[in-house]
Amino acid sequence: MADDKRSEGAFAGFGPEWRPANLSPDEARAATAWVETRIDRRSLLTGRDQVEDVRDIMWQLEKDGEIAVHRITEQHEPVTARTLYGWKKRIPTNHLWHHKSCGQCGNIPGYPTSLLWLMNKLETRYLDETDQTSCTAWNYHGSGIGNVVSLAAVFLRNFHQAYMSAKAQGLPEGYYYPLVHCGTSFGNYKEMRCFLLHSTKLREQVRKILAKLGRLVDGKLLIPEEVVHYSEWLHVMREPIAEKRVIDLSRVRATVHPACHVYKMVPEDVIYDDTVMDGNRVAVSSGLLQSLGAQVIDYSTWYDCCGFGFRHIIGEREFTRSFAIDRKIKVAVEEARADVMIGHDTGCITTLDKNQWIGRAADKVYELPIMADCQLAALVCGAHPYKLAQLHWHASPFEGFLEKLGIDWQKAKAEFEAYLKEVAAGRIETLYDARRSITSGPGFVRPAIAAKGTERA
Amino acid sequence: MARAPIGDPVSNSPVVAYETLEQVFEDIRSHPLYDHELHGCLNCGICTATCPSAHYYDYSPREIVQLLWTENLEGIYEAMQEKIWACAQCYTCAARCPFDNSPGGLVMIMREAAIKHGMPSAKDVLRPFSRVLLKVISTGNQLAPNMITRDAFPDWGANVSKVDAPLDVLRKAIPVPTMHTTDTAWVVNLKTSVELYTIWEETGVLQQLETIDENLFDVIRDVMDEKRDAYAEWLEEHEKETAGDA
Repeated sequence: MADDKRSEGAFAGFGPEWRPANLSPDEARAATAWVETRIDRRSLLTGRDQVEDVRDIMWQLEKDGEIAVHRITEQHEPVTARTLYGWKKRIPTNHLWHHKSCGQCGNIPGYPTSLLWLMNKLETRYLDETDQTSCTAWNYHGSGIGNVVSLAAVFLRNFHQAYMSAKAQGLPEGYYYPLVHCGTSFGNYKEMRCFLLHSTKLREQVRKILAKLGRLVDGKLLIPEEVVHYSEWLHVMREPIAEKRVIDLSRVRATVHPACHVYKMVPEDVIYDDTVMDGNRVAVSSGLLQSLGAQVIDYSTWYDCCGFGFRHIIGEREFTRSFAIDRKIKVAVEEARADVMIGHDTGCITTLDKNQWIGRAADKVYELPIMADCQLAALVCGAHPYKLAQLHWHASPFEGFLEKLGIDWQKAKAEFEAYLKEVAAGRIETLYDARRSITSGPGFVRPAIAAKGTERA
Repeated sequence: MARAPIGDPVSNSPVVAYETLEQVFEDIRSHPLYDHELHGCLNCGICTATCPSAHYYDYSPREIVQLLWTENLEGIYEAMQEKIWACAQCYTCAARCPFDNSPGGLVMIMREAAIKHGMPSAKDVLRPFSRVLLKVISTGNQLAPNMITRDAFPDWGANVSKVDAPLDVLRKAIPVPTMHTTDTAWVVNLKTSVELYTIWEETGVLQQLETIDENLFDVIRDVMDEKRDAYAEWLEEHEKETAGDA
């Protein structure tokens, strides 16, 4: 009997010694309830002995003259949030350097666009420039090509550029603070910071490489005081954003997909707030939705990943789409009766959005709109759904949701189609002066000219 | 005295020398993060119970941890042929492990070792990933708008965009100037990609690439040689301009 079940896949992955427990339905429900009261809570992450704040190591290394720290200062107008253990994390809210996401820019362009638009709305000063690589961690987690030294070197190269970037505008070093768009970059950079602070050998390996690139500060590695995700900026700015809203969200039932690399990697650095889902869920995105007036609906598979898999989304999509549909989309629609699912990471939104269409082949048609927290926030604050939120790139059907928000999507689409003719003729509207985006190398405009372009277009 | 090679009497798999098994495990055990990712295991299985890949594959993070913890060399080698590539790298296992193990992190160490040893399984599994590798090594971007096509992703819907227009026009209609691109996710500064290539060279990543796909390695080397030449030329011209200004 047990062998028969294993051959059907009931216990796939558990190893040959596993046998079914043969619980009755009542016993299974009781066991599940017992587990949920314990593991479905923030206490799962906090009930451990080992609590180490790597920032303590960082400050000591700075004091010892071993590293330099890119500090968050008053010019960055920091707002303090509380992380998993109640520690303070200062989130810079102004003078921000956008560390873009290749998946967002390549595939979900309305994601970063909405974020920059919100910053314009809040008169936040920022720099979006071309001198940056991706974190390269999607590739690493997918393929295994790369290693801790390459990932750490890429991390510190990009953050050094953020530190130095303002010089191109005749402004001091450290003026802009890096704001990381991608969840995988955020998780990876936090891990790399931790490894670098713990390992003298790794610091020396990376120091040699960055010396070759001319990317040391006074001969030292530059470590950021905090690694900050854009969703954290949205979280601490949620009330000022909510003040700008022009659309009522009170009838909207929203589910949140928390991104694994945002809150499962280096979990002690993640923001929790007792006023958001009783402090049992990561606060970002859910807190914003609450402030915007939406109903945030919990659901039983909130903890599951989206199915992205890094390699699977490219080479084994049957896993990706099956997991996305069965474990996330279906549950959000049938259990939570969600109008929309909101995410805060690149791969998750791609996976959950793009993999619904194929569900038709198996009569699994759920049609759940998927978008990033900042896209919804921008829409609620009056952003154009096509010109700005760029929803036409989304595969999931968002039109009905826009109608629920009171947005005439057909009119908006026609406006965008008319705008495309302007674009084809070279009349393009942008959120900032394009001259600012090149800070060195070919195309760089000298500081005297570039400084004039530091204000938004 | 060398031990007898390990073989499976009921499969056609080639016999693997015990020294090879030892070398593979030594590469895993000596990885700088190994001790950070493995601390012990009570076989509780919470990692597997919560693992998305365990739902769909013959894969168990608990099994991976046990193989490494008990130093089961044959089992480790066998798991590297297929199982390690099932992991979705979500790190749910790591977040839940009461021992602070990271099975997902251990899988990455094993993947690196599989690549170092040029295991055929790694080559097979990474073949569809070659476009991403080309993009990331040569530009620092891992994805580009022109990679998302109907042919490449026929299961993603009838159209890439719900507004019908040429890709370059749609991209220029994004109100962020750095994103007016089609073959990279954003405009990549030439200096940036040259710097990144130095990082790849200095950290052994190009060697990994050559082991896994020699043709791709050759293509990337040619592309990057051209970029380096272009940047060197620009630097030379720039120096002349500076001299002229003076």
